[in-house]
Amino acid sequence: MRVGRNLYAIVTGIVLSCLLIGGLSEWQYSGAEEGWRFANFMQRWGPVALLCYIVVAVGVIWLGWCCLRLAGTITSMAKHLKQDKSAHIKPYGNAVINVLSEAVNERLDSYTHYIAQLEKQIKDLQIQIQLSQRRGKNTEAIIYSIRDAVIVVDEFDRLLMANEAAGRLFNFDITSSQHKPIGELVDPDKSEFVDILCHSRQSKARATRKEIGFLKACPEQSRRDAEPKTYDCIISCVYEGSPNAKEWGPHDQSQRVCGAVAVLHDITREKQIQQAKTDFVSHVSHELKTPLASITAYSEMLADGEANDEKTIKEFCSVIQSQAKRLNRLIEDILNISRIESGMVKVEKKPVSLTILIEEQLQMIKSAASEKNIEIIGQKPIVFDQVYADKDMISQVIVNLLSNAVKYTPAGGKVMIETEVDETANLVRVSVTDTGVGIPENEIEHVFDKFYRVDARKKYAKGTGLGLNLVKQIVEKVHDGRVSVTSKVGIGSTFGFELPLAMGETVQV
Amino acid sequence: MASKKVLVVDDEIHIVHVVAIKLRNNGYEVVTASDGAEAFEIACEEKPDLIVADYQMPFMSGLELVQKLRSSEATRDIPVILLTARSFAIEDKQKEDLGISQCLSKPFSPKELLENIEDILYQRDLVGHSADISRSLDS
Repeated sequence: MRVGRNLYAIVTGIVLSCLLIGGLSEWQYSGAEEGWRFANFMQRWGPVALLCYIVVAVGVIWLGWCCLRLAGTITSMAKHLKQDKSAHIKPYGNAVINVLSEAVNERLDSYTHYIAQLEKQIKDLQIQIQLSQRRGKNTEAIIYSIRDAVIVVDEFDRLLMANEAAGRLFNFDITSSQHKPIGELVDPDKSEFVDILCHSRQSKARATRKEIGFLKACPEQSRRDAEPKTYDCIISCVYEGSPNAKEWGPHDQSQRVCGAVAVLHDITREKQIQQAKTDFVSHVSHELKTPLASITAYSEMLADGEANDEKTIKEFCSVIQSQAKRLNRLIEDILNISRIESGMVKVEKKPVSLTILIEEQLQMIKSAASEKNIEIIGQKPIVFDQVYADKDMISQVIVNLLSNAVKYTPAGGKVMIETEVDETANLVRVSVTDTGVGIPENEIEHVFDKFYRVDARKKYAKGTGLGLNLVKQIVEKVHDGRVSVTSKVGIGSTFGFELPLAMGETVQV
Repeated sequence: MASKKVLVVDDEIHIVHVVAIKLRNNGYEVVTASDGAEAFEIACEEKPDLIVADYQMPFMSGLELVQKLRSSEATRDIPVILLTARSFAIEDKQKEDLGISQCLSKPFSPKELLENIEDILYQRDLVGHSADISRSLDS
């Protein structure tokens, strides 16, 4: 290519000079005077002109060659730069090119540096993006794993985010429900929540707290047996441009609310416990007040001299005594149950004879039974019935079962206590059978629950709902025994307990 | 003047007993019952001048008893005093609606109960008296 261009330049030069010389000689032979003058002139100056021409031609050729070389260098430089972007241009021995290459090299250096900086920045940014993505995912995972229902809505009350618990509670699909109005997602029977949410977002209040009760409708549960639930609902407004908690304070009404977060915490169980406690206190205070009322009334009568004769005075005193005992027993019951429950009870286990324990308790219950004209049938003495137990606690069990039997048996009924030794199973079984009001089948499994009172029995006699729970705790928790109950409404109930036999030890009573 | 008759109802036999003694010592005639249903029957038969009833009783509570008494012509006007272990059990409005003359919280003082009974019966006598007088004046 380079040779071609050079050849072209030389040929062009020769052709042009030939044309010039040809033209001139034509002019010379035209016979004109100017032609002759020119011929003389040429004869004199021809060699000089030829020399000049040759010099000029060589100069032109050299210049062309130089230009072509320069162009070639620049082309190769460009090729070089194209191929390897980071490479420097080598010096080519040409001053102009060198200046250019230096300038290009300098610029190249600065660009390389700049690119390196940008690359570093990009890397940093990528790391930051990854980090924030991970952080976002973590936050999402945290919100999703919260057991409380969490719902986030935007300023138009459209769903932004909801966790699984919220999806379950309000029965919607959390992935496909985004950006849908919350009012459409929530069932009409839970619209109270939507109202509160919209209202608190509009009011711009920092946080709103309210207890909401609704029927929990699980997909796997039919609405019929859905139990009512109580939720503690806290709704917090999200303010624009104040993501930090440091800005907590009396909020500015002019601040724009860009959404709201609702957290619903299930407090059904707490409510139940609270209710049970309230009921318990109410029961207990009533139970305590009843004997106290008798004591107060009878002692006042004695003080006022209303008892006219010795017999009445004695009678009044015995009532006061028995009611004081009753009060004491009640307090003991309450204390025992709380001690056993808290594990603070002191247990003194010794081999004791159940027959003797039962005999003692029968004596105690007899007066109450005779008041109601109830016949108590004791057991036949059994020789070997000792159990390894806490004497006071088992006495309590027996007296609770006996007094219950008397309490819930109408006047003129019968109460029977039996002991049975099962040597193969290594057990002693005690059962108390009455001819009382009985317990309905659907309630029988709850009779040992704390505070539980069978509806029919509740009407029949007063009680704290503690006695049978105490029996169960003492027999099962303290003595590794077992309690049992069978009953028929209107016919009577049989309450029993089993204790392991104490083998080969001396009986102490 | 014939002695006044008071019906005492409580499932706690000791309470019935002590109130009965206090009232008998003070010249009242006393009839007793141990639950609401029995009390209603006796009230219809004996037509007492006043009823002292426990609030919490098996089968029929004191409140239910009062409701039943108020629904029957024969017993509509008998004043009732309720004894209750729960001071908050009955609201004032309910008390007024059912015509419960007085609520005494347990533990109660027999002396105070007697004073209340005397007050209520005296006021009723007074009202009855003035009604008699106005009737005689009219005629």
